[in-house]
Amino acid sequence: MFSRKDNIHEKHEISVADPYMNYRLPFRAFRVFRGLMFFAFLVQLNCAHAEDVLHLYNWNNYISDTTIARFEKQCACRVVQDYYSDNEEMLAKLAAGATGYDLIVPTGNAVEALIRQRALRPLDKSLLPNLNNIDQAYLNTVFDPGNRYSVPYAYTLTLIGYNSEKMRELQLPVDSWAVIFEPRYLEKLKGHVTVLDSQRELLAAALKYLGYFANDTDETHWKKARDLIIRAKPYWAAFNASSYIKELTVGNIWLVHGYSNDIFQADLDAQNAQRGFRILAGIPKEGAVLALDSMVLHKSGPRPDLAHRFIDFMLDGHNSSELTNLIGSGNPNLAARRYIQPEIAQSPAVFPDKTQQENLEMLRDLDRHQRRVLSRIWTEIKLR
Amino acid sequence: MNDERKLSRSTRFPRWLVSGPPLLFLLLLVAIPGVIMVFASFRYPGEFGGLAPLAASDPQTLHGFTTETYRFFFSDFIYVEVFIKSFVMALATTLICLVMAYPLALLIARSPKRSRNLMMLLVILPFTSNFLIGIYAWMIILGPQAALNQLINILLGIFGAAPVQLLFSPFAVMITMVYVYLPFMVLPLYTNLEKHDPALLDAAQDLGANAWQRFWRVTFPLSQPGIFAGSALVFIPAIGMFAVPELLGGIGDIMIGNLIKDQFLGTRDWPFGSTLAILLTLAVLLVVWLVAKLSGRGGRYA
Repeated sequence: MFSRKDNIHEKHEISVADPYMNYRLPFRAFRVFRGLMFFAFLVQLNCAHAEDVLHLYNWNNYISDTTIARFEKQCACRVVQDYYSDNEEMLAKLAAGATGYDLIVPTGNAVEALIRQRALRPLDKSLLPNLNNIDQAYLNTVFDPGNRYSVPYAYTLTLIGYNSEKMRELQLPVDSWAVIFEPRYLEKLKGHVTVLDSQRELLAAALKYLGYFANDTDETHWKKARDLIIRAKPYWAAFNASSYIKELTVGNIWLVHGYSNDIFQADLDAQNAQRGFRILAGIPKEGAVLALDSMVLHKSGPRPDLAHRFIDFMLDGHNSSELTNLIGSGNPNLAARRYIQPEIAQSPAVFPDKTQQENLEMLRDLDRHQRRVLSRIWTEIKLR
Repeated sequence: MNDERKLSRSTRFPRWLVSGPPLLFLLLLVAIPGVIMVFASFRYPGEFGGLAPLAASDPQTLHGFTTETYRFFFSDFIYVEVFIKSFVMALATTLICLVMAYPLALLIARSPKRSRNLMMLLVILPFTSNFLIGIYAWMIILGPQAALNQLINILLGIFGAAPVQLLFSPFAVMITMVYVYLPFMVLPLYTNLEKHDPALLDAAQDLGANAWQRFWRVTFPLSQPGIFAGSALVFIPAIGMFAVPELLGGIGDIMIGNLIKDQFLGTRDWPFGSTLAILLTLAVLLVVWLVAKLSGRGGRYA
């Protein structure tokens, strides 16, 4: 507080004498920055002697810095992270020959693909005593029966996100996909709704609303879902992949079909900007899509020992809770719950209750024929 | 005779040296990938993406060459519809750019020499920042909370019309495409117009032509090469654009670029993506050829 005041004072004083002050300030900042870089370089040199480095290939913003720092201190090693923003990107990079990653955090269907490509190293569960912390509901998935290769890390749900004030004002339900697909509700929301620009996710929502499974591959059901989407489309503002967070925060968009982490982010932003409304998440009673991200060991990783230590470290309740507190991700770790901020823990997007859990479905990979059929349906949806 | 041959031999090597790097560049980054793409379009998609193997020991697995992607493309009208839609969008972008760029280029070309460079600098100024930043700026300008949209809706309200939304609409796509490609139209037009001999216009005036006739019968025909160059520079990249419709488009704004991108990322159907890309290239070449033919015929004035 004091120092900031001082700064303003100083700046003012100088700017009287020196009109170019504003141009000089960045240079001074640069000098400080250079100093810091040099320091960082020295630190790095110092650490290089240890030679203990864990290479983690993770989603953007998917681990707290404090967690990383704690692990580095505990194991006297260094964690080097690389980032990806979707599974396809990660798979493509590995397919192109990227190596040296000890740990990767792919979503279920990508785990399955990696297992079938024989790219993963089996886990040694004797090194993972904290595995007991994981909720049984997230173990033994179809992607990796018996969890030979993967340990659940966190999950995202695909939900309804909404502007609390607007939805109350308009008296619309927020517990059903009907509000996304039924014209009788959408009439009141015309131009203020976005849905995900994702073939699988949108189709899954429509299938769920029609009472089918999200993984249903029957073409007649897909066509029914297509017709439902085309009927609702005129009321939507856009198919949107990322900018809906901002649009929700500023109040342009009142209802979205979106990811729970993004809805959480939009809510944080709306609160910080003191918008006077909240962005809340609702789980549709018909069910929704669950994307479970798991930690897996890549065969090319040179340090499976460190990787196992890291997995067990992340299975600790406190460490696991830090991610949820940071980005509002769903948490499969039962021991983490008591460390999670109460308000976040209440959200159904983070801890769905038993009945909600039963209606959640993980998307499985489609085969090449199904992918092409879906792509054609998608083109039709976009064009009509 | 002998001297001449000697000369040509001595210039041949430097000529190769100069044209070698661009030739190598084109060969490595255009011709070879093009050939790979043609081959890819005749293969089956792989199970995890990529391509199915050429040969397989198990006859049950898909392998070898096929024309199924082309048959799939022509099996119904929907993909052709996307092509037509993209053509219309690109054509509209080109025409709007032309109408906006022509007066500007003419103005710059007729300005005093000293100020021309500064004006051209202003035209290419948008290139100094990434075009995505410009796109995001347009998202803010066209947003429903922005002054522009609110002003329009107030005016519409006075006349009793329903309010409109500018962002997430074909209008937003169009305006941003024009923003992105306008400099590509101005540059060749200016380069052409700058070279015109003012004596021709003086002569036309002496012969009794009025301002409109001078433009229509002298300047415009002479500027046709510039118009065609600019139109090609705008039309060809515009038809493959996918970022603008994706970010600013509404519920129906899909272009061929989005479709191709989808085949390689979401759908992981490389053969069909390659087929779409090849058909797009062929379609664009066809258009350019047609335009070149027409321009050859229209060149009689100049």
